Amino acid sequence: MEALKTVTEINGADLVRRARAGDGAAWEEIVTNFSRRIFNLAYRFTSSADAAEDLTQEVFIRIYKTLDQYDAKQGDLSNWLMRLARNLIIDDYRHRQRNPQNTMADDVEDHAYHLHSVNSSAQKEMERRELAAQVQEGIDKLPSDLRTCVILRDIEEMSYQEIVDVLQIPEGTVKSRINRGRIELAKILRRMRVVSV
Amino acid sequence: MDYKDERIINCSEFEELLTDYLDKTLDKQTHKAVAAHALRCPLCHSLLNEVKDALEVCHELAVPRQPLTRLEARILTMTMPETAMSCSEFEAHLTDYLDGFLPAALFHRWERHAVLCENCTDLPGEVVRSIAACYTYKMEELPVPAGLHEKILQSTIGTTEAKAVKASWTAQFGEWIRSLSLPLPQLAPVAMILMFAFLVFGGTASSGSSFGAIYQKSFELAGQTYKQGANIVLGNGNVIEQNSGAGEPVQGIYVNQEENKQ
Repeated sequence: MEALKTVTEINGADLVRRARAGDGAAWEEIVTNFSRRIFNLAYRFTSSADAAEDLTQEVFIRIYKTLDQYDAKQGDLSNWLMRLARNLIIDDYRHRQRNPQNTMADDVEDHAYHLHSVNSSAQKEMERRELAAQVQEGIDKLPSDLRTCVILRDIEEMSYQEIVDVLQIPEGTVKSRINRGRIELAKILRRMRVVSV
Repeated sequence: MDYKDERIINCSEFEELLTDYLDKTLDKQTHKAVAAHALRCPLCHSLLNEVKDALEVCHELAVPRQPLTRLEARILTMTMPETAMSCSEFEAHLTDYLDGFLPAALFHRWERHAVLCENCTDLPGEVVRSIAACYTYKMEELPVPAGLHEKILQSTIGTTEAKAVKASWTAQFGEWIRSLSLPLPQLAPVAMILMFAFLVFGGTASSGSSFGAIYQKSFELAGQTYKQGANIVLGNGNVIEQNSGAGEPVQGIYVNQEENKQ
């Protein structure tokens, strides 16, 4: 995984240059390298595999149209691309919050079906899958402003400043939403007997 | 702290090292890695607690938990009631406490509340486990749905056979020029040098010419071009086949349309 990341970082500027010139293989490489990460980010916000799939496709169309704006001097491809993807996914999430009839969220029971684990024994794999489904269920129950901050901080592991930049809200608000979101999530997971002692 | 040197272990390694960890026989780095894993992974955290509890029972070490801290906290609250903290204030400072940003005075008031308040006493541990659960969730990535790559390629480059789509030479050249990223002012002298070389090697001016002579020559060429343009506009239709100039750079380019019709 680390090796893949390094390769991506090294070849990012070259890949974009080739893709901009119309090289299909270069664009395919970008899609292959980043689709899983973007799809999972979309899934965390949409709670639906179908909606996440549609959103991922939209994100890549936007990325393709804005490849011209990528400047290798401003940072590596991964940072630029994920920043763009986050902004688009958060915009979509906010839009769906304002227009709830457009929501395409699955029943949370479906999450366990969709989640797959990569390694470990069967028993542990099952437990992890169950835990992941419960966390997603808990996150779904958070108010939208808290949910966004918790996902960005505790799952995407972004810094406070990065969240400030993405959401365009003051740092104090970001901190208090993260704090409130964590407490609410802990209480939800406690009720679900996920984190109780 | 240098995170590059930090060792990361997985769940099966954790299980193997657990007994040595509890016996404190591991080297410092491995001990730290086991502790870090227990904090990150809620399942291993529970396992660690279970084993610890079991060991305690086995060794009959039934020591009451934090009796002094609780007693101390109660005494301080009774003697200094003004330092007591409300539950909402306690919650508001929770992340700062976990991040280690609470000032000393606030820190002690916060910890006292954590020890004494039955409603809040489990909350910090639950928040830590909840963050750890988020971490586990992050590791549980969904695979990309079948056919998504093809959909993306179809909607962006118009085909799923991406490798068959090749960049044109002109586009590649354009990207190459772009990758040079020369600022425009720097291109001006380069263009001057190229023009100078063109005039000299194209035979328009001899290499021995002075800069002034080259300027004179380009002035004459401009005059000739103007004459050709004027002839075309006036409809004279004279094809300029010959030039009096040494290099004859302007070749016949115009054919009278009326002659053509004939």
